Amino acid sequence: MKIRRIIGQGVQSLNANRLRSFFMMAGTIVGIAALTTIMALGRGIEKKVMQQVETFGPRAMMLIAGGGKDMPPPDTTVTTLTVDDARAIQKQVSGIEIVSPMAWRFRINVKRDVHQYQAVLWGVEPSWHAAWNWYAAEGEGITNEDVATLARVCVIGQTIKRELFGDEDAVGKRIYVNKKRLVVKGVLSKKGSSPMGTDFDNRMIVPITTAMRRLLNVDYVGAVRIITRDAGQMPRQIKEIRALMHARHHITPPQEDDFRIVSPVAIAKMARGTSRTLSILLIALVGLSLIVGGVVLMNILLISVGERQKEIGLRRAVGATRRDILSQFLTESLAVTFIGMLIGSGLGVAIILFLKKATRIPVMISWESFALSLAFALLVGTFFGVQPARRAASLDPVETLR
Amino acid sequence: MIAVENLGKTYTNADVATAVLKDINFRIAKNEYVAIMGTSGTGKSTLMNILGCLDKPTAGSYRLDDTDVNSLDDDALSHLRNHKIGFVFQQFHLLERATAARNVLLPLIYAAEYPEDADQRARQALSAVGLVERMQYKPNALSGGQQQRVAIARALINDPEIILADEPTGNLDRRSGLGIMAIFRKLHRQGRTIVLVTHDQAVAEHARRIIVLKDGRIDEDRVVENQRDPEVELDAFTEKEDR
Ligand SMILES: Nc1ncnc2c1ncn2[C@@H]1O[C@H](COP(=O)(O)OP(=O)(O)OP(=O)(O)O)[C@@H](O)[C@H]1O
Ligand SMILES: [Mg+2]
Repeated sequence: MKIRRIIGQGVQSLNANRLRSFFMMAGTIVGIAALTTIMALGRGIEKKVMQQVETFGPRAMMLIAGGGKDMPPPDTTVTTLTVDDARAIQKQVSGIEIVSPMAWRFRINVKRDVHQYQAVLWGVEPSWHAAWNWYAAEGEGITNEDVATLARVCVIGQTIKRELFGDEDAVGKRIYVNKKRLVVKGVLSKKGSSPMGTDFDNRMIVPITTAMRRLLNVDYVGAVRIITRDAGQMPRQIKEIRALMHARHHITPPQEDDFRIVSPVAIAKMARGTSRTLSILLIALVGLSLIVGGVVLMNILLISVGERQKEIGLRRAVGATRRDILSQFLTESLAVTFIGMLIGSGLGVAIILFLKKATRIPVMISWESFALSLAFALLVGTFFGVQPARRAASLDPVETLR
Repeated sequence: MIAVENLGKTYTNADVATAVLKDINFRIAKNEYVAIMGTSGTGKSTLMNILGCLDKPTAGSYRLDDTDVNSLDDDALSHLRNHKIGFVFQQFHLLERATAARNVLLPLIYAAEYPEDADQRARQALSAVGLVERMQYKPNALSGGQQQRVAIARALINDPEIILADEPTGNLDRRSGLGIMAIFRKLHRQGRTIVLVTHDQAVAEHARRIIVLKDGRIDEDRVVENQRDPEVELDAFTEKEDR
């Protein structure tokens, strides 16, 4: 086909002027390399966000003591959140599967003989296991009977077990919390650490009644974990929970809340942090570099059209139509941005692999960035190639051959 | 067959009209060998460009075979140039970065169909001008005469009926020029129509007919009585050098 021959002419011409072609390409290479890197960074962050949401629980909400917009941990000076609040939510908000109140102490000294450890203590109801999908790997979890009898039992995390018992069996043994004796009823399965590096296995759970009356001597809880049946219902449920809490705690909105509700949406928002604004800024920079690159490309092409007037005239004399000339110059422009895109993508991937190896910055290569690069490259090539190509096509062969 | 009637070309620049060609009438039959002569600026190249369908007259008509060239649009003119006409220019106009072979193949790029035997045809065209062994040379590795021969091979690749040559020997020494004239003579013998522009009487006398332009008009249109033979002159040239 004729168009293939004409494309061939364009490619030959680029190949014969490698230096010129390289300068035409430079902007695209830089822009696409940056685009590829930035998209991979964005993807990496998004993946981290998803992981965090997954860890938190996509159907989970946390009602936490203390106002303000911050995330956990609960404000231990706030004493207004109660087990009754939890019961009320269970009763009055529809579509809720689990409501599990938790008494909370962030740092508590746990001892066994000479061994001791700073653990995180949660006083929980049996529903805690299902609410966190976290069960005892050895021994047993907390039961209704434990709660009813204020049983002096606990279930400890893997880190605590290692610190206090080493390789020994822990189940059935005694430990001391606030000088009070507890029997280890079970050991929780390993949870690992959060993407942020917090250890989850430094936790221990006791019956909520034991925690409140025997260990901490409080009549309030730190948080309530709520699991909905359907994540789609969450916005409504959050609204209803807030209204219910306002009513129960006698708060009228301009007044500050004494609780906060954390949802996966909020978690994701926090995990994204400023990365979103940053990447919008960077994308703007990429756009700018592609435009600058495109303008450079256009100018070099215009100069090239000027220099190649005789060539253009000759091609017309031997039978090229205006459109053939247009096609050739558009081909040159598009081939430049296309090859520039390939090189830029390669460079971007190299940068990403380097970041992956040398830093802890999360990155993830995606096909979308490749597709977007291709689209941008073709767009830039067409947009900035059209004017030079038109000029070339409109030259009068008689004038150029004189 | 070429037929021009009352042909005129007037340039208008900033309201100043310059009549370059005025009331030109002639016919050139198939397989004629015509030289167009005249002093510089009399409109020879302008006429040539019109005959080659690169330019349009502002008055009169031009018929090429059965086509009224004036009525054709730009694409049709391009097509006509591509398969009916072979141009040879004073400055050769070769693509500097392409080999002789690629230069010769150029018109085929714009042909409706790319012939399967294109490379074979390029070889033939180059051998017709005695340059097969230089096929892979780029223009800067060729002498002026050789470059002009590549340009002729390029004009031949589409097997055109008409060869239009504007001062083809203008940039060459006499000997290379004679070589080019010898090729034209051969092409004429093969049945092609040749129109040659020159201001050199000696070159013009290689043709069979001379049209002389003066101030944009035809001043003379005559048959050459003693047509020169480039082969004989080349031999004479060689002898003189040998002596
Ligand atoms: N675009 C134009 N506008 C005005 N005048 C023009 C234009 N192009 C050519 N001319 C004039 O037309 C005249 C004929 O030019 P042309 O090139 O045909 O002459 P020529 O016979 O080929 O001369 P030479 O022997 O020097 O090549 C010249 O006087 C030139 O100045
Ligand atoms: Mg001229």
